[in-house]
Order: sequence, then C-alpha cells, then structure tokens
Amino acid sequence: MNMRNQILQVESLTKIYGRGENKTEALKGIAFNVLEGEFLGIMGASGSGKTTLLNCIATMLKPTSGKIILKGKNVAGFSGGELADYRGKKIGYLFQEFELLENLTARENITLPLFLHGVSAKKAKSDIEALAAMLDIAGELDKFPTQLSGGQKQRVAAARALISDPDIVLADEPTGALDSKNSKTLMDKLEAINREQRKTIMMVTHDANAASYCSRILFIQDGRIFHELRRNISTESTSDFYDRIANVMAQLGGGSANVL
Amino acid sequence: MFFKQIRRNAAKNRKGNGLFFGSLAIAIAAFYTLLSLGEQDVTRYLATIESEAVEKLMTLLPIVYGISLFFVFFLVYFACKYQTDSRRRELGMYLMLGMKRGRLFSMLFCETLWNSVISLLIGLPASLLLTEGISLVTAKVVGLGIIGHRFSFSPYAILWTVCGYVLVQLLSMMIICIDLGKAEPADLLRSDDAKKQTILSCSKSAAIFAVGIVFLSLAYYFGIFRMRTLNMAVMLCIIICGILGTFLLYRGLGGLLGRYIRRKAPNATGLQTFTARQVQENVLSQHKSLAVSSLLLLTALSCVSYGVSMGLARSVDGRSVDFSIFGEDEKIDAVLESDDVHEMVNDSYPLRLSVIKDGYFRDEDKAFDASKLEEALGSVEGSDNIIENLHIEYVISESSYNKILEGVGKEEINLEGRKAAIYTSLANEGDFGSILGKALKKGASIGIDGTDYELLPTLYYDNVVADRAITLYMALIVPDELFTEVAREREAYCRNVRLTDTIVEDMGLMQAVQKMDALLADAGIEYDSYLGGIGRNLFYTVAASYLTIYLGALFWLIANTVIGMKYLIGQRQTRRRYETLTMLGADMELMSGSVKKQIGSYFSLALCVAVVSSAAAIYTMFTSFTKLPEGASLQRTAAFSVGALAIFAIIEILYIGIVKRTAIREIRRIDITNRR
Repeated sequence: MNMRNQILQVESLTKIYGRGENKTEALKGIAFNVLEGEFLGIMGASGSGKTTLLNCIATMLKPTSGKIILKGKNVAGFSGGELADYRGKKIGYLFQEFELLENLTARENITLPLFLHGVSAKKAKSDIEALAAMLDIAGELDKFPTQLSGGQKQRVAAARALISDPDIVLADEPTGALDSKNSKTLMDKLEAINREQRKTIMMVTHDANAASYCSRILFIQDGRIFHELRRNISTESTSDFYDRIANVMAQLGGGSANVL
Repeated sequence: MFFKQIRRNAAKNRKGNGLFFGSLAIAIAAFYTLLSLGEQDVTRYLATIESEAVEKLMTLLPIVYGISLFFVFFLVYFACKYQTDSRRRELGMYLMLGMKRGRLFSMLFCETLWNSVISLLIGLPASLLLTEGISLVTAKVVGLGIIGHRFSFSPYAILWTVCGYVLVQLLSMMIICIDLGKAEPADLLRSDDAKKQTILSCSKSAAIFAVGIVFLSLAYYFGIFRMRTLNMAVMLCIIICGILGTFLLYRGLGGLLGRYIRRKAPNATGLQTFTARQVQENVLSQHKSLAVSSLLLLTALSCVSYGVSMGLARSVDGRSVDFSIFGEDEKIDAVLESDDVHEMVNDSYPLRLSVIKDGYFRDEDKAFDASKLEEALGSVEGSDNIIENLHIEYVISESSYNKILEGVGKEEINLEGRKAAIYTSLANEGDFGSILGKALKKGASIGIDGTDYELLPTLYYDNVVADRAITLYMALIVPDELFTEVAREREAYCRNVRLTDTIVEDMGLMQAVQKMDALLADAGIEYDSYLGGIGRNLFYTVAASYLTIYLGALFWLIANTVIGMKYLIGQRQTRRRYETLTMLGADMELMSGSVKKQIGSYFSLALCVAVVSSAAAIYTMFTSFTKLPEGASLQRTAAFSVGALAIFAIIEILYIGIVKRTAIREIRRIDITNRR
C-alpha cells in the first residue's frame, strides 16, 4: 500500500457507550486506511457499529480511544474553530434524511457551507453551476426543498456535501430514504464524481445494490472488521460485485465462521 | 405512580422554563393588582371624600377584570402551548406505549392544576408585595404620606385572582388538548414540525403589501385630518382601515422579504441568508400573530400615553389656594395670628370677587357691551352655543387675582391702560376653554359704561377659592378702581390662605392640609379647604391614569409574550436545522449571533408598525377628543411622555434580552457529539 496515497487512517478506534455494568462496546479497536480517490463502503448488520464508526470520523461522536487521522491530523483532538473548519471544509456529509433546511432554496442550501466560511455565492457561482449540471439539478436551484422530489433533495444534499471541495465525503445510508430508481441515479452520480474528480467517498450502507458501486467494502460485525471485499474496477462489473456482496451478506446471517 | 409522574413532570417544566413561569406569575400579579385597587391607600382615602365617584370606579372594575381575563387568556394560552409543544415527542411516546388519550389529557390537566397551585403560591405573595409597593409610591406621590399606610390584604381579590387564573389555565389546556387530540402519534413524535415554506408570488405579495399601506394611510388620514371631535363613524373607519391595513401589510411582507433575500444572497456570507430566511419564514407563517401583536402594542402605547399625560395634566390642576376663610376680618385675623396657625401660613389676602351691580347686564341697558367679544367668538368654529349663553355676572379685582397668580408662581397681569381679562373656572369643560382662548387671541374688547376695555389675549382659570365645587362660568378681571365702581359687594368675598412650602414639603400636602383643617375647625370659623377639591383631582388621576396604564401594561405584556413565545416555539420546531448547521461547520457564536438577529428583527417588525401607528394615534387623540386641560404644560407632559416611552423602550429591550437568552440557551444545548 502506498503511504503517500493514504488520506484517512483509523487506528485502534474504540467507542464505549454507558458506564459500569451498562457499558456497551460499539467499536472494539477498529483500524483501517482509506486511500485518496477511493470509494469505500462500510457494511454490516444493524448494531454492528458501522454508523458509530462513520459518526466518529464525522466528529458527531467522540471516540473512547484510538486515532482518526485525516491528512496527517488527529481529528479526535479538534475543538472550537478547528472543529468547525473540519466539519465545513475537510469533510462533506451526506445524511440519510437529506437534512436540507426547508426554508432555504436549493441554491442557498448548497452554498451554505461556503457562506459559513466567508465565501459569497457570487464567487462560487461557476462551481455551483458545474455541480448542479453534474447532478441534474440545474433547473431546481431556486426551488425550496418542499418543491423537490426525494431524489432531487438527495442530489441537492450531495451538491452541498461537495461544494467546499472536501477531502472526503462521508455518506450515511444515502439511499436509505430513496426508491430504487432514485437510488440508482444517485449512486451513478456519486460513482461518476468519484471516478472523474477522484473524490474520496466513504459510505455506510446495508443496501447491497448501493454497495456494488464501491471499490472496496469493509464488513463490520460486533464492533470489529471481519471481512473485506475489493472490486477489480477494470474487469468486474457492478452486478458481478453485487453477487459477491450478496454472498457475503448471506453468510453474515449464518455467522462469521462461514466467511472466514 | 400516576400522581408521582404528574409532580415530576410539573417540576421538570418549571425548572426548564423560567419565561413560562414568569408569564404565569405576571398574569397572577395582573389580576390581583386590579382586584385589590379598592384596598389601596389612595382609593380608601378617596372613598372618604368622593365616595360616589369611587363607587362608580369600583363598579367599573368587574368590566376591566373581564377584559383582563380575556387578554390574559392569550398570555397563558401561548405560555402553555410553548410548554406542551416542547413535549410533543414525549406525549407521542406515551400514546405509542399504550396510554389512552383520556388518561394523557387528565395527566396534562392535573399537571396544569399542580403548576397553577405552585405558581399561585409564588405569584400571590409577589403580587401582595407589588400592590403594597404601588400603594406606597402612589401615596407618596400624591402627598398622602405613608403614616396612614395600612397593609392591604384583600381576600376578595385573592379569591377572584385564583378563580380567574385557574379558569384561563384550564381553558388554555382544553384548547391545547383538542389540538393534541387530533394529532396522530407519528405527528407528535416528529420533532421538526416546522411549517412548510409558503410560496407566495412576489407580485402578489407586493400587491397585498401595497393595499395594506393604503389602508393604514387611510386610517392615519382619517385620524389626523378628519377626527376633529369624537365621531363614531370616522372612528369606525379608522379602526377598520387600521386593522385591515396592519393584517394585509404583514401578509404581504413575507414575499417582499423573499425578494430582498434573493437580491442580497449572492454577496451574503456567514449565516446572513439563513437568518433572513428564518425571519421570512416566521413572518410568512406567523403573519396573523405579528399583526395581532403589533395592534396590541399600538393599543398599549396609546393607553400608556393617555394614562401618563392625563394623570399628569390633572395633577397640574394647580393648587392656588389652600383655604378660603369666611367671616369678619377681626375674627379671621385673630385666628390667623394664633401661634399654631401663624407658623403654617405663608400668605393670606382678601379675595375681592363680586356679582356685577344691577344695571350693568347687557340685556338691561348698553352699559355693559360684549358685542366685540361676541364678534371675536363668532370667528371661531363651534362657538354658537357659547355666544348664545354668553353672560358675565362676576368681577374679580386685579390685585386679588394677582395674589392668586403669585401663589401658583405665574406671571402677574397688568391691566393698566383700559384693559381687562376674562376668567373662567370651566376651562377644562369640553371645548369651552379652547374656543374662548382662541377668540381672545384674535383680539376682543368689552365696553363698560361706554368705555372700551381691551381684553388680554390670555384666558385665566386658576382657582380663586379653595373649594373647587364653586365654579364661575365667566368673570371679568378688572382694575381695582373699576371693581369698586361695578361690584355690588365692596367687601372681600373671603380670605384666601396658602400654607408655607416648608410645611408642605415636610409633612406632605395632604397631611399639612389636614392639620390646618383641624386647627381652623377648632377655632370655630367658616372655611373651605383644598381637601375637597383634591379628592376629585386625585380621583381623575387614579381612574384615568391607573386603569389606562394598567391596561396598557397588560396589552404590552401579552403582545410581547405572543411574539416571544411564537418565536421560541418556532425555534424548538426547527432545532434540527441548527444541528445540520453545526454539522456543516457553523460554530456556537455564529448560530447565537443569528438567533439574536432573528429575535431582534422579529420584534422590530412588530414594533415598527406599532410605533408609527401609535404616533398617529396619539396625535389624533390629543388633537381631537382628548384635549389636555388648559394650563397643562405641553413641555412637561411631553417630557413625561418621552420618559414613559424611554421606560417602555428599556423594558422592551430587557424583555427582548430575556427571549434572546432563552433562545441561545436552547441553541447551546445542541450537541451533536454523543447525541446517540
């Protein structure tokens, strides 16, 4: 593995909820690296710790121990302005429920991270238009979220996650609230962005269809990484990769012994 | 278990919502203050000298109480709604866990009752302290002194306060429960219950806004130019145009704000666009509340201005004479020279006031010619009635009247060179004083025995005797020589006495008058005292000022509660937005700044229209049906009005500050780390 391409390093990450007899270990010393331009999927059953892992990286949760190093800086040690900067500039977050502000137009929602860091919409006009064209929402920019379909909302949310050109995009079940058609459209767009712009994406999902767009998948069970799948982009189609993922997931139901 | 839960929930509500409990305590204080009016020192004192008027005032109280009940209902309703809205999720959970709606509602009702008991236990002692404070301050201000102060505990006031308060609380909860009864558990569990952004086209908004401005302008026009006297038809027009205009203005404002935001958005940074959109959303979804609050603020400002200026104007109804003593000069001199009385008397002088001799009335011969005064009156609008009834029966000597003027610290008059002046003690009765004053300014004269006496351009009205019950429709102040010539009685009408300023300052006017009263009564001479007059004066001060200021303060409080609570409810419903902002990199300072600006703008929007409208309303009030009494110093009244406005502004800023602090406390509770 080429160390120069590593964008994110997660080292011995643990997260314990509760105290004393009530404590639950959600993450039990997870370690992995993410390479620049990678489309990484995190899969696992409910309660396996996949969302906890993503939220620790997004600074929505404080890990109990371990390190999260993004481009050489330990994220766990951030606070105040550094934390706000990290959230607004270094990462882009794609929520399952979109989390668009209902009283802002699509354009205003997309430019919000820029506003927060002192960049006016005027300066970013060309970026907004390019992103809107890429995500097929150019005609919807002046509409309010209530006037958009679910798929359009998630693509607006994707544009918001990408507008400040973050080092990594973190997506938490981005297709969770979408129908299959809109899920496919969104994943096509995300894959295109990953391929054409070399944007690093880390996505938590339990949807094998969505996961088949990834270049690598980490399977988590009981707070530990227990399996990894890599897709050979040049030779393996998404449907072939889907079959392999489905196979692992089927075996997951029967316990890890069948996989390992 | 059930009651334990009720007590625990109620305690949690109290701890979390100072503003909510503050509003409830104020509601209690409002009821008690009003209902205990009859027990206050000033009212008790008034009842001894003006019992009939006080009785009339007391019969008015139930009506004012009813009005207060109606308005306090809104205050309590919004406070309770704020409280239950913040618990929607919890209530949804109870339903999902199988609690029957009936049991849920009875739990809410029991919590309300429990909270009522606790807030009454806090609010009632606070109200007692407040009313005692008001009673002492009023007594001090009007010169009653605090010696006669009696602790005023009114069981009647407490009973009705409790009844009224519990009634409005239960009624509010009932309405809230009806609303909750219609909501599905899923609706309750969804915390972000923000209203959808209403889309109203810009041109439509602009048109509605413009129509609103037109209606408001019409109301101002009718008020300023068409409301010379109290005319019910014009009044109705003003009210309808004003209310319609205010509602339409706020209805259209949201869309216009959207247009402004779109124009400014390309250059906006930070949370400017977000802040503006939040304000716009509040205006769009709460335009009716904003209009109602703005109208309530307008009423509050008008009531307080009316109360303050009328109270002040009445209180300047000058104390020119403290005692008028009747009888033989020797007997009066003997009393005045006795040690006890002497040390209290500043000045005493004979008042030369008399009916004009027979033969000088104009109808009988031409010796007394008022035709030029009639002519001058004729050029003043609305003077027909006065001309018809014009008669001058009395004369006052120049030197006597100058003594009166000296007593009240006014410039003496000079009637040298064939001059005379007009006196009336009815200057404040309707338009009489102002019409007569206008006629005199135009220049008039009066003929006596064929000689023209030029009338001074000022109308004189300072009380010539201590008892105000004695009124003079119209009298002529004439030089002393002329007085001797035309007066039927050459002897002095009475001896006027004024108390020394030091005694008045030391003892308070009321106490000093009472002491002198006792001394004169002991001496067995006939006299009138200022005491009788001051009763009516005080009555007007109390009735006009106290009640209008009370209602004004109540309207103000309700308007602010509506605006504040509506904002805070909205903020709770959109809490998730602030979580998203945090995820996008907004820090606490930035969000707190945005919240402050939102609250400032939201309050300003309601206040701006209210202030402009009340400027027009106050102008209308004081130029038409509510004239300041003659002699009320405009500067002094204006100064106090500005003072009242400053106090209003300070309290408003403090209130906005409290709402800001509450809102920021909510924002600071947002912590996306470890939220799961």
